[in-house]
Amino acid sequence: MKIMRSGITFGIVAGLLTFLFGGWSVAVIGSLMGVGLGMGLGSGLERKDPFKIAKDMAPTAIVAGTILVVLSIYQNTFVQHAIGKQPAPINIMIFGNLIGFLGTVIFTTLLAGLHGLPEKEEQKWKMILLAVLVVAFPFIDKLTALRWTAQIIFALIFVILGLGLNIVVGYAGLLDLGYAAFFAIGAYTTGMLSSPVHGIQINFWIVIWIAAVMAALWGFMLGAPTLPLRGDYLAIVTLGFGEIVPVLFKNLIDVTIKEPFTCWILPMFKIQTSCITFVQDFDLTLGEKGISPIGRPSLPLIGEFQSSNPITWYFLIIAIILLSVFIIRRLRDSRLGRAWMAIREDELAAAQMGIDPVKTKLAAFALGATFSGFAGAFYAAYIAGIFPSVFDFSASIIILCVVILGGIGNINGVIVGGLVLMTADRLFLPALKDFLASLLTHTILPSISDPVVQLAVKDNANPILYRFLLFGLTLVIMMAVRPEGLIPNAQVRAELHPDEAPVAVVEAETPMNNKAKKG
Amino acid sequence: METTRKKFNWRRFAIATLVLYIVFLLGPIVGLDIPVVAAAIKANPLQLVQFLIIGISNGAIVAIIALGYTMVYGIIELINFAHGDVYMIGVFTSLTVLSVTGTLESKDPVKIVLGLIFALIIAIVFCAVLNATIERLAYRRLRNAPRLAPLISAIGMSFIIENIGLMWAAQAWLVPSFGTTGGASQKVFPDMLGILFASLGWNINLLASSGLALRLTIKDLLVIVLAVVLMTGLYLFVQRTRLGKAMRATAQNRDAAKMLGIDIDRVITATFLIGGGLAGAAGLMAGLYNNTAWWFMGFRAGLQSFTAAVLGGIGNITGGMLGGFLIGLLASFSDGYLNARWTNALVFATLVLILLFRPTGLLGEQTGQKA
Repeated sequence: MKIMRSGITFGIVAGLLTFLFGGWSVAVIGSLMGVGLGMGLGSGLERKDPFKIAKDMAPTAIVAGTILVVLSIYQNTFVQHAIGKQPAPINIMIFGNLIGFLGTVIFTTLLAGLHGLPEKEEQKWKMILLAVLVVAFPFIDKLTALRWTAQIIFALIFVILGLGLNIVVGYAGLLDLGYAAFFAIGAYTTGMLSSPVHGIQINFWIVIWIAAVMAALWGFMLGAPTLPLRGDYLAIVTLGFGEIVPVLFKNLIDVTIKEPFTCWILPMFKIQTSCITFVQDFDLTLGEKGISPIGRPSLPLIGEFQSSNPITWYFLIIAIILLSVFIIRRLRDSRLGRAWMAIREDELAAAQMGIDPVKTKLAAFALGATFSGFAGAFYAAYIAGIFPSVFDFSASIIILCVVILGGIGNINGVIVGGLVLMTADRLFLPALKDFLASLLTHTILPSISDPVVQLAVKDNANPILYRFLLFGLTLVIMMAVRPEGLIPNAQVRAELHPDEAPVAVVEAETPMNNKAKKG
Repeated sequence: METTRKKFNWRRFAIATLVLYIVFLLGPIVGLDIPVVAAAIKANPLQLVQFLIIGISNGAIVAIIALGYTMVYGIIELINFAHGDVYMIGVFTSLTVLSVTGTLESKDPVKIVLGLIFALIIAIVFCAVLNATIERLAYRRLRNAPRLAPLISAIGMSFIIENIGLMWAAQAWLVPSFGTTGGASQKVFPDMLGILFASLGWNINLLASSGLALRLTIKDLLVIVLAVVLMTGLYLFVQRTRLGKAMRATAQNRDAAKMLGIDIDRVITATFLIGGGLAGAAGLMAGLYNNTAWWFMGFRAGLQSFTAAVLGGIGNITGGMLGGFLIGLLASFSDGYLNARWTNALVFATLVLILLFRPTGLLGEQTGQKA
């Protein structure tokens, strides 16, 4: 019954999403919903025969798919007229809905059915299936003319940033409110070293490493004096750095360095010297104008990456994410990673066990910053221009949102969190804006006679204005309802709900505990 | 013991010289060009006094906001991130009240005074209720959660309120002077005090007759007087009343206070109400003094006030006031002599330096593991 209910919910949500995008979107949304349903519901089931699970899931999948298709057809026949657009051609409708329905049913039953296999097998097959989806996505996107890839790339940039921040917040338990500063350092390093502005043009494949090292170096330099601070004071200091760094990049436009002895101190005693000037009015960062253009990566066979073709960029960022996930996994399971978690749980106890808290935290800070260096380099090359306003406080908080939403301390959680939050921000809100705008102009707005009210309604029905609300609500609601995130790390979950999980486990296993409880 | 003469510490001297040299060498990059600043002060010493006046007036506003931070931190050890934004809402509330009551267009002094008093009351009440609501919705249930959870919730609340300010600033039907440029741009808060004194026929500059190139306006005096009145009132409230005593007891030891029959929830709500009310009052004052309303102003004000609270010793009410005036002066001198674009960075650098070298602030006591 519970399964059926989530199937219906998913179907309705997915169907409503087709209202925003129209056309072929029903096929993609249906398949993605199938994957989500299969993964989500499957893992909650008991392990038994795969075919039996698939059979159990089939009604739910069919219901979800039917709801999706019904809503999608309703959209094409009625809603498109209401918002003053042409309905999609009949062949797209037939095939789109067919693929959407089949995608829902097949992926739901398939992924849920995989849960019936032994755990190792299940993991393997799920990985393969996901890999196929990830590889196929940009091509499907191109075929269906949805143009989502460019926005997904942004989401993936934030996934890398989230993964890096997760080391600091999730593993080491240090709240870093200025993480965007390292992102900025990575991006500006790339900008300055591969742009004709300063006449230095180093190949992207080298610059991305320099950017990572620079970010790590700054993480080290900023962390070294501040990490002895605890908890919220550390958070405020990092917030301070996060605020100072963009200000520096914005304002380093007339750098002048003069040797003080020759220029000021000696003339004070009436000794004539020639003033030694190292740099005079040097425009280092170009302020608000930003640095552009920035060199792009190129590969043999493919040639230079073009902004018109997001597919190459998509695979580049997927490669960077895979590399990052690999490194972070190894780090997490290493001696250092275990030291981070020990410090997160209890710094005093960890220090007693011979872990140097400051050194360990410093390593978390520097390594966390490294990944934002990658993200920054990619971002700079992809946008081919960087502006200081991108890296302000709100960017740091958005990255924090990604980590919190997905699940503190969990790599998969951060990836899901980044994808959900950033596609909501970059795909869903703009589409909703267009949808609402055209819906209003064709329905309510003409009937309002008062021009002031008309303008007020029109201006306020713009969901992009409510972006910050989206992030703010994410933080507040997650903290209140599910502080461990959508896909929690088992340890963090146990820590945040001390009353639930461990008691159940302990009670079942040791009679000792029962005695203690009675007494 | 008598024989150990204090030896001249060469190492210390060398380090100090080196630091000084680096400040002279690299300072100009961030506007800290000491020779230029010294020359500017020498050329026009009166300007220094002018910046002092501006600094104290702005510092008074900073101090009032800082009180909200310091009181909340004192009681529940939470940096109430949303507090600066409550102040921003105070600016918008008072501007809206002034607009709706027709005070903005009025030239009648009696009507302006009544409108201002009404706006002050509404701003105080609205912000107090808003602040207490924030506590109820976002912080209360997290009181026993890990320390960082309420802080994250507070950051989220700050974002939400900033977004409300952004939406508010777009409502031209409510306040016509917002114009049609959307919510993101800075709005003008009309100079009601200037209009009031002009209509009374007074010269707003008290030093106009002295012939000095200085401005000490009635606005400056009003802001400072109002700030001092509010702070004295708060100080007396906390020191003398029963609820104030309960607040101090809760700040010292929440569990012990609970055992003695103090209703913790009530005390905390009262703290948030008072802090919000002060932020609302500061909102109207800042609007009248600086004549701007902007959805993002709460962030900068919040940072300055939080820095002030830390500088004075967080949790310490007198310290908050002192820190507020000091930060106001710092910001004013930085605006005047260095460059306004570096002020935020400078305030932040101050905050970082205080936290690193004297985390207890000027007047704070050792809190040990708390921080």
